[in-house]
Amino acid sequence: MPLHGHRKLPPPLPGFENVHRYWNGEYQAVMAKIKPGEYYVTRSDDVLTTVLGSCVAACIRDPERGVGGMNHFMLPLKGAHHGVVDDALRYGNFAMEHLINDIVKYGGRKQNLEIKVFGGANIGGIGQDVGRTNAEFVCHYLASEGYRVAGKDLGGMWARKIIYFPETGRLLLKKLEAGSDVASQDRSMLDTLTSKPLRGDVELFV
Amino acid sequence: MNVLIVDDSRAMRMIVKKTLRDAGYDDIDIEEAEDGAKGVEKVREFNPDIILSDWNMPNMNGPEFLKAIKDEGYDKPFGFVTTEATSEMRAIADEAGADFLIAKPFTADSFAEVLDKYMG
Repeated sequence: MPLHGHRKLPPPLPGFENVHRYWNGEYQAVMAKIKPGEYYVTRSDDVLTTVLGSCVAACIRDPERGVGGMNHFMLPLKGAHHGVVDDALRYGNFAMEHLINDIVKYGGRKQNLEIKVFGGANIGGIGQDVGRTNAEFVCHYLASEGYRVAGKDLGGMWARKIIYFPETGRLLLKKLEAGSDVASQDRSMLDTLTSKPLRGDVELFV
Repeated sequence: MNVLIVDDSRAMRMIVKKTLRDAGYDDIDIEEAEDGAKGVEKVREFNPDIILSDWNMPNMNGPEFLKAIKDEGYDKPFGFVTTEATSEMRAIADEAGADFLIAKPFTADSFAEVLDKYMG
């Protein structure tokens, strides 16, 4: 049996080279750890994991076409940029669309998608409404787009570790005491969103 | 001025509409279509002065939509509003005859930066 550190991992799909991946002996599969602000899509038996505080993660797959993935995001505070109230909405849509578009790009069909959502906890020290706002956003988004939610665990006062198997749809969830590391992860994400300008670029073809 | 928004996401069509208002374009009529195929029908019915289209859509994607309406004689401004904006996509957009590309997440400022040229 190969040593963990010496196993050569199969390459990820193009565009996901920066996501941290490693061999997980327990599940005998490549595990991808999704950090705040990242997302990941796979067509193989990769296992995806993340730890959520007030952020939310959508776990989405097309069981017929064998492609799935996960994102991990939070909305910026309303009014954090330009005083425009829609900035949070814009960002949330962007985060969901990125994941869904890439699943479609790699063969998935929107009408087949099986969607589960997690997170949105009220974690001390970051503001009571942050988790709730994230949870409400993701539910509203899915309803507005006409997607059925196959599973969810949102809100509460605890952090969550989730392990998702897109190949089978299985999901393991462990509730964790919301320690300072989760709160600090959330704070850092919120600070990043606040300091970075919330806009893509524009190009004129002349 | 008639503006056609083509996007398979209802939420995103709503955000594009609100962003147009935020950018100060009040005196416009807006129609929507949820994919390229429906967009072609809307172009025939609505005769838009400018089209803002998503790239990834079921039935007929953005570049296919642009080609279809150009084949029918549409020659007014057309821009992509898209999540992914690789250099390859930009080249395809330019080659297909698009006038501009706005990458999401956009703001009212990024809309105004591009659209003032056509709608100012």
